[in-house]
Amino acid sequence: MTTYCGYMGRVILLDLGERRAEDYVWTDRDRELYIGGKAMASRILYDRLTGKETAFDPENLIVIATGPLTGTGAPSSNRFDISSLSPLTGITASSNCGGNFGHYLKKAGFDALIIRGKCDSPTWVEIENGEFHFHDAAALWGLKTAETQEALQKALDAAHGKSVRCGMVAIGPAGENLVRYASVISGERAAGRAGMGAVFGSKNLKAITAAGDAVPTVFDREKAAAHRKKWVAAIRSHPLTGRQLPKLGTAGLVSSMQLHGLLATRNYAGGQFDAFEAVSGEALAEELTLSNSGCLSCPIRCARRVSVDGREVKGPELETLGLLGGNLENADLEKICRWNYELDELGMDTISTAGTLAWAMEANEKGLWKNGLAFGETDDLSQVFEDIAHRHGIGNELAEGSKRLSEKYGGRDFAIQSKGMELAAYEPRRAVGQGLGYAVANRGGCHLNGGYLVVLEGLGLDVNGQTPRGKADFCMLQQDLMEAISMGGQCLFTSYGLLPAFLLKNPNGALTKTVNAVIPFFGPAVRLLNKLPELACFNLPLLPYPYELRYTTGMKMNIGKFIRCGERSYNVERAVNARFGVSAESDKLPKRLTDIPQDPKRPDTRVPLEQMKKTYYRARGWEKNGLPSEKKLRRLGIC
Amino acid sequence: MLMVTVKLFGTLRIDSGVKELRMEAGSVRELIPLVCRELRRQRPDCAVSEKDLRACLVAVNGVRVGARSRLRDGDVAAFFPTAAGG
Repeated sequence: MTTYCGYMGRVILLDLGERRAEDYVWTDRDRELYIGGKAMASRILYDRLTGKETAFDPENLIVIATGPLTGTGAPSSNRFDISSLSPLTGITASSNCGGNFGHYLKKAGFDALIIRGKCDSPTWVEIENGEFHFHDAAALWGLKTAETQEALQKALDAAHGKSVRCGMVAIGPAGENLVRYASVISGERAAGRAGMGAVFGSKNLKAITAAGDAVPTVFDREKAAAHRKKWVAAIRSHPLTGRQLPKLGTAGLVSSMQLHGLLATRNYAGGQFDAFEAVSGEALAEELTLSNSGCLSCPIRCARRVSVDGREVKGPELETLGLLGGNLENADLEKICRWNYELDELGMDTISTAGTLAWAMEANEKGLWKNGLAFGETDDLSQVFEDIAHRHGIGNELAEGSKRLSEKYGGRDFAIQSKGMELAAYEPRRAVGQGLGYAVANRGGCHLNGGYLVVLEGLGLDVNGQTPRGKADFCMLQQDLMEAISMGGQCLFTSYGLLPAFLLKNPNGALTKTVNAVIPFFGPAVRLLNKLPELACFNLPLLPYPYELRYTTGMKMNIGKFIRCGERSYNVERAVNARFGVSAESDKLPKRLTDIPQDPKRPDTRVPLEQMKKTYYRARGWEKNGLPSEKKLRRLGIC
Repeated sequence: MLMVTVKLFGTLRIDSGVKELRMEAGSVRELIPLVCRELRRQRPDCAVSEKDLRACLVAVNGVRVGARSRLRDGDVAAFFPTAAGG
């Protein structure tokens, strides 16, 4: 139980082998320190994993966690998080999803679900109003994700004699066959990254459904409603969250990335794709978009609806457009929409699938691994995806990801991954702070977990993307802020509304140019805030999240505490990963990005990683080995 | 006069409904009012203003340039509003 509002007050440990559910102790002190979501999951993994487990061990845990804002009507607060040991990276990872499972998990009465053990045979789990029921999933095994969810809905409706409103998570064939980058799908949304679907598959867990009548309470309804009204109005009037994202979705970034040399092309050989217009957000909007849509309680509505074979489905996001477009030298937008749908149906991460394919195409070209794949020759890729998901032929090898393949065949220098996870579509040699983020990110080559510095370095603001100055400090601040935003259950896209609109609306103005020029010199000031966030023991309308947590939960939250929560989350995840061998040695990028300039005439168009890493570790207060000391963990209240 | 191709991107293109124009102009600065006028001519209800165009990043033949940049015959000038959020 809890004295805080917003929470359901129950965390459940579900043992699949014993088919038993028991309450897991999660105190109000834990809630104050970790809020919820991925931070909560990281703390649970820190408490339960020893460093000896592997991803497919029954002893590995899956933590599905919501935030206190999930299901309360706070803007864009529908997110939930799946964390586990990743079969792709061998360390802990989290995957965030906008599907409706989190919302219904809370309606079923729970803040989080911890899953351990393994079912004897394919199983799906039904959660309903605080109770757990195990069902045979033999008839579902082999089905794709949409078919699975349709079958589950029918089964629930038939069992209850009425239409049941519920949330679901399900895996497809890729998860069943332990593809190391298999995703978990909720509705049409994916917890795409890090192979969480394969962990489900290793436990013979095909799906979970959640339904119920519980409703989270809000501490101060009046203040929360007034705050949300203002916040939603601000989101809707902002040039990014009110115009660009609703009109073009994340796909709208393709053109800007091209302009800035940030669009991964030909397995990151470069940052500009000659045929970018064909796979841009503009082309998607003009030729294939039927409408836009959004997650529950989201005023941004960035998702696209497109038609594939006459069926209306979810459209591709920027990462998918970039990595299945220019990075494979493919300029066919319809194919990308089709592949995006097929990969979701098979339950496979589009980013890692595309990154692995790009590596394989280059390995084939260089004669390292004769596999028949080639840049620009993409007619047969649908079959390749099926082969990966079912581990047939070369698909069985591609299912291992680019890191393992490059260790086997050679070509590590152009395996575009960090800690085993393939990078997103932002080419970091023109945004070196983003490169630092990719390298140090706890879950591997992730643009968001890395701090998304590219939002300062060309996409959003226009800070010099080549200078390392100040980047380590901003990287830490943005990582911690994004961790904290995620803990509450809110979408990170709300944070784009924090960028001052007057700067975005006038990028050529003297003021904006001055801000862009001086930001790198603000590193020391940011470092002071990073070191002593408690100095910000107040709230400002500029940062609406602490207010939201305060009004919804009743916690005494302010800017300083909020940032400190984010820092704690980042450190606890790092600490548990240290048990699995992570250190400064793990924080690296392929040589293509650190040693080879993107522009041969400009030696600075590469990521000066070692230099930035040292500053980053100092900023974080970590040891030279890239790990938090016991003293640091104690200071954060972790141990 | 010099004939250049103008390409519009992002919300500018969605708002105007125009992808590409052919214009005569000697510099980016000179181009902006002409583009605005042409958009209005093609789409009388078009809400894109000179201010919107001045607030764009501009590339000529794929290279970022400033407003004073001169144009040559056959150049492709592209207008990109600020975009972020992926």
